[in-house]
Amino acid sequence: MGSPRPDRHYLLRQRDVSGIHQLAVYREHGGYQALQQALEANQPDQLVELTKASGLRGRGGAGFPTGMKWSFLPKDGRARVLVVNADEGEPGTFKDRELMEGNPHQLIEGMIITCFAIGAPESYVYIRGEFLHGYERLTAAIREAEEAGILGERVMGTDFSHRMFVYRGAGAYICGEETALLESLEGKRGNPRSKPPFPAVAGLYGRPTVVNNVETIMNLPPLVLEGADWYRQWGTEKSPGLKVMSVSGHVNRPGNYEVPLDWTLAELIEAAGGVRTGHQVKAVIPGGSSMPCMPASQLDTPIDYESLVQAGSMLGSGGCIVMDETTCMVRAVARVVRFYRNESCGKCTPCREGTFWLTDILDRLERGDGEMSDLDTLLDVSDNINGKAFCALGDAAVGFLVSALKHFREEFVEHITGQRCPLGARQYDTVNH
Amino acid sequence: MTQLTIDGRTISVPEGTMVVDAAAKLGIDIPIYCYHQSLGPLGACRICLVEIEKMPKLQTACTTAVREGMVVRTGGPAVEKGRQGILEFLLINHPLDCPVCDKGGECFLQDYSFWYGAGKNRFEESKIQRRKDYPVSSYILLDQERCVLCQRCIRFMGEYVGEEQLMLEGRGVHTVVSTVEGQPATSPYAGNVIDLCPVGALLSEPYHFKARPWNIEREETLCSVCPVGCASLVTGRDGRAVRLEGRPQPELNDYGFLCDHGRFTYDYTYHPRRLTAAELDGAPQSPSAVIAAVGERLARAVAEAGPESVGVLTGGTHTVEEEWALARFAQDVVGTSRLGLVKPVAGDLPLALLGTFGDLAAATGVLLLGVDPYEAVPVVHLKLREARRAHPVAVWGLGDRTLTRATLPGDDYVVEPGRVAAALGAVLGGGDLDERWQALAEGLLTTERLVVLWDGADPGAAAALAQLAARRAGPTAVLPTHGPRNWLGAVRAGIPADDAAARGILEDAAEGRLSALILLGADPIRDFPDGDLAARALERVPSVYFMGAFAPEPRHALAAILPTAVWAEVTGTYANMEGRLQVAHGAAAAPGPARPVRPLVTALARAFGRPLRLGDDFDPFADQDGDRIARPPASQVPEDPAAPAPLRIREGEWALITGEVVAVSHPPSEIAERSRDRFPLRLNPADADRLGLRPEGGLVEVSQAERRFVAGARRDARIPEGRVFVPRGLPEVPVNRLDRGAGVRVALADRVPEGVAAQ
Amino acid sequence: MSERNWPAEWQEWAEASRATFPNAQSSLMPFLHRVRSQRGWLPPEALDAAADLLGMTRQHVNSVVSFYTLFRSEPTGRRTIHVCLGLSCMMAGADTLMENLEHHLGIAEGQTTRDGAVTLLEAECLAACDLAPAAQVNLVYRGPVAPEAFRELLEMPVPEPEGWVPPSAPEAPEVTNHG
Ligand SMILES: Cc1cc2nc3c(=O)[nH]c(=O)nc-3n(C[C@H](O)[C@H](O)[C@H](O)COP(=O)(O)O)c2cc1C
Ligand code: SF4
Ligand code: FES
Repeated sequence: MGSPRPDRHYLLRQRDVSGIHQLAVYREHGGYQALQQALEANQPDQLVELTKASGLRGRGGAGFPTGMKWSFLPKDGRARVLVVNADEGEPGTFKDRELMEGNPHQLIEGMIITCFAIGAPESYVYIRGEFLHGYERLTAAIREAEEAGILGERVMGTDFSHRMFVYRGAGAYICGEETALLESLEGKRGNPRSKPPFPAVAGLYGRPTVVNNVETIMNLPPLVLEGADWYRQWGTEKSPGLKVMSVSGHVNRPGNYEVPLDWTLAELIEAAGGVRTGHQVKAVIPGGSSMPCMPASQLDTPIDYESLVQAGSMLGSGGCIVMDETTCMVRAVARVVRFYRNESCGKCTPCREGTFWLTDILDRLERGDGEMSDLDTLLDVSDNINGKAFCALGDAAVGFLVSALKHFREEFVEHITGQRCPLGARQYDTVNH
Repeated sequence: MTQLTIDGRTISVPEGTMVVDAAAKLGIDIPIYCYHQSLGPLGACRICLVEIEKMPKLQTACTTAVREGMVVRTGGPAVEKGRQGILEFLLINHPLDCPVCDKGGECFLQDYSFWYGAGKNRFEESKIQRRKDYPVSSYILLDQERCVLCQRCIRFMGEYVGEEQLMLEGRGVHTVVSTVEGQPATSPYAGNVIDLCPVGALLSEPYHFKARPWNIEREETLCSVCPVGCASLVTGRDGRAVRLEGRPQPELNDYGFLCDHGRFTYDYTYHPRRLTAAELDGAPQSPSAVIAAVGERLARAVAEAGPESVGVLTGGTHTVEEEWALARFAQDVVGTSRLGLVKPVAGDLPLALLGTFGDLAAATGVLLLGVDPYEAVPVVHLKLREARRAHPVAVWGLGDRTLTRATLPGDDYVVEPGRVAAALGAVLGGGDLDERWQALAEGLLTTERLVVLWDGADPGAAAALAQLAARRAGPTAVLPTHGPRNWLGAVRAGIPADDAAARGILEDAAEGRLSALILLGADPIRDFPDGDLAARALERVPSVYFMGAFAPEPRHALAAILPTAVWAEVTGTYANMEGRLQVAHGAAAAPGPARPVRPLVTALARAFGRPLRLGDDFDPFADQDGDRIARPPASQVPEDPAAPAPLRIREGEWALITGEVVAVSHPPSEIAERSRDRFPLRLNPADADRLGLRPEGGLVEVSQAERRFVAGARRDARIPEGRVFVPRGLPEVPVNRLDRGAGVRVALADRVPEGVAAQ
Repeated sequence: MSERNWPAEWQEWAEASRATFPNAQSSLMPFLHRVRSQRGWLPPEALDAAADLLGMTRQHVNSVVSFYTLFRSEPTGRRTIHVCLGLSCMMAGADTLMENLEHHLGIAEGQTTRDGAVTLLEAECLAACDLAPAAQVNLVYRGPVAPEAFRELLEMPVPEPEGWVPPSAPEAPEVTNHG
């Protein structure tokens, strides 16, 4: 059993306090105290050390230790930039949207603390273009903060000045990848950049840049107030703290759940009201559609980064998709691979052509027009994409497919031998086809 | 230096070198599509996968910089499978139409498929259909289905050239290379994308379906159009030149880019105006009859009026060997010393200052003295951009119009027409200069390595340049940008190339002191800076004997015409604007009775009665400075220029300014006709507005005294107000026949008046 | 030179976009967003205006616009419905929702009704899997939308592009390759 559920929300605070997106309400409930404390009582280095000590890991997908990322910035006196990744587009993940809509001031507060820690006079939020409401909430909150002297010249009366910008994406999942995001933020097509140089050395407009996820940054205010040990009371040694998990699919209460990182998948599903009444779990994707799926037999796996890797999947961005026995795995896989085909930026050969090819094969399989050799082709094409693409989208495109073929191969075979979907799933097709 | 091991062999390369280039140094070929040294790494195609010890995944050799002790394997099962996979991906949406593709046999995709090909095609679904034969410029067809999205063309145009005319459109598998509808690529560098395209997606329209790899000859040549003399390959088919491609010269750090004026004008060798018959006194004759007659007449003239009554002028477009043969004929057969070269500008560069493209690449400061390299020597413009990509280069323009441009920004110093040399002299002389000019003086004197591109138009600049070089602590190199193409080759052949030599001959001819004039590819009326003098000379001299490919006007002035073979039809040596000697091979046959110059000259000598033996005793490279022509020491510096006479421009008149524009001065070409500028004259937009010129351009009449000319003109903000720019050599407005010290009148012309040359 | 026949406020917006971010390179997308929300889509003159007012090539503008799905350069309806077809929404019946809409409107995904009122588009995961099946109408979220309750999407009040111009000559709807 994992740690007990915390007595209140630290990130999803709108669940406890209604109206907390307004500055007055946020302040009434202790908002911006952490910032004040950070500015007045801490040296920037201490904040970096605090973050390191807490063991906080990036919530954007890769789980990279946040404090360590900050300390990679070259110490050459150049002004740094913080870019917050609010492009949330990973299928199954919807936490950043709710966090920004419901609790925008905590993001702003976390950003200012981070910028003070890393020495950034400017910060940017790259927000997904579809998040119109989130954009409005966030820009309104920034305006409030500016008017209250929390942003702008001499933040809260200190020597630290800071400007914050919000930039809207326009419909491209790849712009969640940090270098594609920077390209887009510079007004270009969202094609990922070569690394090196890493953003820490030459990022936005060539400046040393830190890219962090919304949720990652929102951890800063409670962390500053409560300290590293407080944070480490949850989770494991290597994966401490709380994580907002997005649970969707065949559960009774889909939604975001702020849970300790040592909970199991079963506990998480339970928190979301359990699997649809009268049904059983067939498979779970624990961390967004880029991650391999796990069969029901693995539900007692804890959701910390290490345990999920050991179980053959990954925590990713924490988008947990629960599928019950009515789900056709071929159709689910076809749908997900099509997502990557549609969202591939097109720069590199394996991702651009490979996802196109896989989609065609999977559609054929789902229609009942497949052949046994297609299964080998699927695996071989996946192998030719995996590790050979320019950015991680290529690998992401085949994670679910390869795992589904491993755990549910017989279902693919039935589609071939029976020349139809055994579950009667029908493919969506436009009326003109 | 960094040491690494590739396939078991060790090599040291400079820090920052990419693995793919390090491997190439060992002769290990790693396949590439998207990578090109001129563009740097992109990592898009993924075909260059290699295995690197201690790295879990395969790496792309084109994006991975070498590291000390790195161990790379470019083969083995993992690498082979990786590359095979990439190839298979590239082929799933690629039509299998190699048999009808112009690039068939010259295609990287075909080659690599042959090496790695999986044999069986596992892709059963239908390919995506896209645009085929889509014209993206006057010369280029795009087949989107064959494109592998390596982005070389896009990056070349956008980053290297700085003219973003091609674009990536769409996303993912729907991404295509395209142009904005209705806006084809117009850049004069666009043709390079044909060479850069690793597959058959970008094709030369003029070469489309013209030949197959097995029925062509592809010979190493040099472009013959301007004095840059770009290295190229000429494709010959059935005796004709049908294609020109760039030829990289790694030893000179040259990527082999051409401009479209050079790339698409090879058809001048079979242009309808090309001379294909010998003529004597206006009537066609067999070449041998004409040779016999000319030899005899020349001998008679020499007997009657002495050898110095014969003048010999070359146009400076033939090979060094041919120019040398002409010089032998003049000096050893006729015995005359009246030998000269017709060049379009009066300035004579002190050859001691002659620089190289290497100097350009290393320059910290570049002075554009009267010349816009984009127009006059286009590939030099690219070389300048290339230099700027490597390190900062200050660029100054000094001329009678703006010489820098968006793709080569710098500081411009615009002076009165004819006062370029005076301005340079004043800058060097100190005196009281305002702040801006002071900055120029300081820049020119203190920049570490200075290169001057000089158009040669203002003769006085030679002295100022010599003075500049003497005053500077660092090296100063001058690159003359004027033609003719092989004038430095003529210098190598011993032909006096200074303005005075040709001028003296023409003056004597005009004064009636010459009995005959021999021209080799020379058109003095069109090209000599004083066209009226040349016209008087040709009218007055009793006999003009012309050898060449295109007859000068007026034809009646020519007593004899002997067609010659030209570039692409002969093998020989040329010297470019650096004075670098290089050999061009022939790949085509000369038409009809056109003969190479050497046998023509020996035949003439025989007919003259004084046989000439042109054995192989002449080697253009012998006793030279490596592959560059020998240059005299710096002491031979010309005198200071006299102060220029003030301009005589009256109320309502415009100053006439000119310059070299290859787009106008290239040899006659039917292919290039499609991109001919209909509005070659240029006016400041404010002036154009006052005239009421239409936005896209229109006809204007340019007049001076009794002379009237009509030509198309357009707006150009780089021309100062009150000036009209007329490209040199433009048939409609022969600027060398107008008085540039005086003004001209410019008016709108709604139609072409009778008796005015119009094309 | 293109004709400068765009509205005066575009000029202001372009200047505002340039001034908003410290680096003018970043001005393109904010400008396009403003025009998009005014017009509902990006007509050719908007791309001309972007290139001209922001000092970019038209190639750059086109290339960028064609990369992002929210930047549509073909006529788009007063009401743009994005039906999420992501995995979680698919599991909740999004395909049927989409089919119902197609049949009701008589158009296929990617098309606009003849009167220009509605454009129907498929969306990739809208990050609203808790609302599955989810949709957006003019970027306003709605969900869960039961497949048979598709009319909600046609009736719910949403802000509309105030400068929207109906398609002058209703063109035959074109099927995109995206299906
Ligand atoms: C294809 C792709 C999509 C991504 N999408 C997102 C995203 O929507 N949001 C996000 O925060 N990170 C995303 N990432 C991860 C980012 O590249 C980056 O690692 C992250 O923003 C770093 O923040 P963190 O250290 O706080 O996790 C994506 C990565 C890839 C390869
Ligand atoms: S893997 Fe390649 S094509 Fe796919 S998104 Fe990344 S760079 Fe683009
Ligand atoms: S040549 Fe290396 S990725 Fe294209």
